[in-house]
Amino acid sequence: FVYSRPPPWSDTLPTIFVITPTYTRPVQKAELTRLANTFLHVQNLHWVVVEDSPRRTNLVSNLLEKAGLNFTHLNVETPKSLKLGLSWIPSHTPRGTLQRNLGLHWLRDSFSNTAPPEGVVYFADDDNTYSLELFEEMRYTRRVSVWPVAFVGGLRYESPKVSPAGKVVGWKTVFDPNRPFAIDMAGFAISIKLILEKPHASFKLEGVKGGYQETSLLKDLVTMDGLEPKAANCTKVLVWHTRTERPTLVNEGKRGFTDPRVEV
Amino acid sequence: NEELWVQSVLEMPKRRDILAIVLIVLPWTLLITVWHQSTIAPLLAVHKDDGGDSQRDLAAGLDSKEYCLSDRDIVEVVRTEYVYTRPPPWSDTLPTIHVITPTYSRPVQKAELTRLANTLLHVPNLHWILVEDSQRRTPLITRLLRDTGLNYTHLNVETPRNYKLRGDMRDPRIPRGTMQRNLALRWLRETFNKNNSQPGIVYFADDDNTYSLELFEEMRSTRKVSVWPVAFVGGLRYESPKVNSAGKVYGWKTVFDPHRPFAIDMAGFAVNLRLILQRSQAYFKLRGVKGGYQESSLLRELVTLNDLEPKAANCTKV
Repeated sequence: FVYSRPPPWSDTLPTIFVITPTYTRPVQKAELTRLANTFLHVQNLHWVVVEDSPRRTNLVSNLLEKAGLNFTHLNVETPKSLKLGLSWIPSHTPRGTLQRNLGLHWLRDSFSNTAPPEGVVYFADDDNTYSLELFEEMRYTRRVSVWPVAFVGGLRYESPKVSPAGKVVGWKTVFDPNRPFAIDMAGFAISIKLILEKPHASFKLEGVKGGYQETSLLKDLVTMDGLEPKAANCTKVLVWHTRTERPTLVNEGKRGFTDPRVEV
Repeated sequence: NEELWVQSVLEMPKRRDILAIVLIVLPWTLLITVWHQSTIAPLLAVHKDDGGDSQRDLAAGLDSKEYCLSDRDIVEVVRTEYVYTRPPPWSDTLPTIHVITPTYSRPVQKAELTRLANTLLHVPNLHWILVEDSQRRTPLITRLLRDTGLNYTHLNVETPRNYKLRGDMRDPRIPRGTMQRNLALRWLRETFNKNNSQPGIVYFADDDNTYSLELFEEMRSTRKVSVWPVAFVGGLRYESPKVNSAGKVYGWKTVFDPHRPFAIDMAGFAVNLRLILQRSQAYFKLRGVKGGYQESSLLRELVTLNDLEPKAANCTKV
């Protein structure tokens, strides 16, 4: 027997398309490594990695090849003006937006609306923490499924409010609970079918207030009462919005102490 | 009479034919059943939907495989089955990697341990020794460990608090994780007999670091103490042992105090279990340890610079 990593592909299981925007910085390889280590347990997972860069980098290419995951490697560079938020409208710097939209675009290009594959789309940032259970919760999403997310909105967790009938009726958040979708990027998944049915639904690039990015996509896809609560009716936390500390590299000095050819 | 004779002649071949058919078919049916069983049973044993009980099932799988192999008349068809289990099946030939992780309660604890477990779940023959800095083993950790399916040992020891300081602070003279790592070393020494031990490697893995899967295979061949580079320590992209052309460690490529006996981070070395058991008094020094000298406080009792084994392509890979 040969130990297989990831698990063998199944013809009957819906596919989970995970869209991860990523950008070059010291901890990038570490983040993608431990993310890959998690994904390598999930059956029928297809990782769509979208670099914020003018070209696909060797670091990410090599990592994806070595990991053994089913993947698609894309890239699109966020224009400097958007990055610095130089537009007149004071908006939240839209990090990852162009990349997520490219991921959606690739899906719509790759699959036809007439014969949509069974599956879901999930936006997974490269610095969060995902339990394996989460992926099984989202796998059978009919339209849009939702669940709690830890460490967002200044709380231990934010969560959808679920009625006894099992319907989402509101949002248990402190920060702006009246947003149409007061939910973090990591707190929902969308069925492929729905993505293909609504080809114009994308994340809005500009004029998006802080905390409204998710709404800018979801409002074109679903209404609150169409949401499917997961994770035991949104009582369990299966994903954490962890953040990674920036490493201090002060001792590199001006010329650099370590060998730049050694990839970190 | 002729008719009778003809009848009996007709009947005899029938009976003989039946006998012949039975004698030919029977061994083949037996053969096919046995062969079928031996390939299916292990498959059934290793196929899992959840993460539990893989060890027990696999024992059964291995037995039936042995049963099949003993029949030398059968030409063995080798079929490569790709199986996924979590963790991978235990192997009789691989040294066990004992990963010692100190941990303490704080909001991100469960997240950290979850993603660490997700990494460890790929490593064959791994034994996770999780040591809580707490008065009692907490239900959160107990549940988490059980749910992963990993081979584990759950310990705890509380670092004494310094009530003199404002707030409930731990004794600042004792570096964090020290008592927990030492407890794990003591547990290993109490559990394993130094004369009669299965091969093992000891590695200290803090719960907030990131580990590649390759790292564990690098350390598995440790004879005494092996070393490799670690990223994001000492204010650098990485710190690394200096390795000469003969493949021997002769120094440390660090900015911060490169003259430490072992200018290496906790995550940058692994020790053969045999050595831990032989030098049974070697522990991390509890108090009076300068910043950056914790690792040295243990390693100087175990090995000299000369004996270090550089891994990760002679310490060129992170």
